[in-house]
Amino acid sequence: MNRDELLRSMNEAIVAGNKAAAAALGAEAVRSGADLLEVIEKGYVPGLQRVGELWEQGEYFLPELISSAEAMKAAMAVLKPELDRKNIEARGGGKVVIGTVEGDIHDIGKNLVASMLQAGGFEVYDLGADVKLERFIEKAEAVGAGIICLSALLTTTMTNQKRASPRKGPPRQVQGPRRRRACQPQVGR
Amino acid sequence: MSLPLLDFVKTRTVLLDGAMGTELMARGLPQGTAPEAWNVERPGLVKEIHGEYFAAGADVVSTNSFGGSALKLAGHGFGGRTYELNLAAARLAREIAPAGRYVAGSMGPTGKFLKPQGEFTEEDFAAAYAEQARGLADGGADVLLVETQYDLREALAAVRGVRSVSLLPVFVTMTFNSFPRGYFTLMGDTVARSAAALEKEGVEAVGANCTLNSEQMVGCVRTLRASTDLPIIAQANAGQPVIGQDGRVGYSQGLEDYVRFVPEIVRAGAGLVGGCCGTNPAFIRAMARIFNNKERS
Repeated sequence: MNRDELLRSMNEAIVAGNKAAAAALGAEAVRSGADLLEVIEKGYVPGLQRVGELWEQGEYFLPELISSAEAMKAAMAVLKPELDRKNIEARGGGKVVIGTVEGDIHDIGKNLVASMLQAGGFEVYDLGADVKLERFIEKAEAVGAGIICLSALLTTTMTNQKRASPRKGPPRQVQGPRRRRACQPQVGR
Repeated sequence: MSLPLLDFVKTRTVLLDGAMGTELMARGLPQGTAPEAWNVERPGLVKEIHGEYFAAGADVVSTNSFGGSALKLAGHGFGGRTYELNLAAARLAREIAPAGRYVAGSMGPTGKFLKPQGEFTEEDFAAAYAEQARGLADGGADVLLVETQYDLREALAAVRGVRSVSLLPVFVTMTFNSFPRGYFTLMGDTVARSAAALEKEGVEAVGANCTLNSEQMVGCVRTLRASTDLPIIAQANAGQPVIGQDGRVGYSQGLEDYVRFVPEIVRAGAGLVGGCCGTNPAFIRAMARIFNNKERS
């Protein structure tokens, strides 16, 4: 398999949510001495981006999204030890603290976002559901996270997202049921 | 004895109620408290809400048990009180229901996923719904309403669970989102596939609720009508939640805009119509006026 075929196959494995293929291609990249940062950034990541587009367009739904995130994680599990061994730092997205706000036990959306962030190379600290606002801040400060993600399903707990949007500190990303566009400008800083 | 709900549906458009959670919050339900707990802790307030919906003209109210499946209650540490809280939920609605009006036992999604996305099996889900259905049926519900389902497999498991403990009619509403290609659940189930599978499972009515506003609901009901001969339920949201200047949560679709599409929802084929998130007794009163003018004068 030449370089272009390898990258294309990696992309396709992520889009298809094919965990075994994604991992096998990662192993082949390691074996053949390919540029591992290139296979991540030009092979797997564009696949993940395509999955995001398909989700936005209503072509992909939750099962496909989860399968693709799992395939990405499987690929990274193969590549990471090799990157570590070679002392190569993969370009990650940084550290993220995520959780569902206090008063809300719903975690479907939060888990999905955490999974996709992890697949996308972020270091994710998942605090679970029904999390007090102070804990988000404490954790973010403790681990040096650049981003805090607050999830709320209930409209009654949406206001907690807004409460967590002070003028300083890490950017907060908010998330709720099908109101990505509707909510963010409302709650944003 | 009054007409069974399934026969009543054949006589005219049946008016359902609107949102429950926001009404409870307006009466002081603290954030993070399971709404179902109030069926035993503050029964008077739950009854008051049902009473307001009946007074507004609702033919059917849904019990305060949306999150009352054993799995959902377990998240609040109340898994062991499933029967008790659902029994109380149905009794409260029954006690305040005027003669000739109906009580639907509300059963919302578990909030969990089946394998492979989650850790649960269909049998787990069926058992969780069965326990809830037992309480609702014993408390006097006329029909069991499995609602706001985002996964057809869960809806079917719920129906099987309910059927294992009760002979009451079962209604199912799924929640669909609108995409250029049509209406889909979170799991990608289409309207046609959902309606066909639920009809095959023997449910007495199918429908759509939540997510869509009343304008979007028209098209969804049309698609449902093309997919099944069963009575169709439609309970739209009043748009999307937004936080206003005053810091309070409101909904993007006002009452007048919402009810403007109600006659179209009925014309599209819905036989049981009510509200969902963002609606309140005022919405139901406005809908009752529309129905009264058209059908009941």
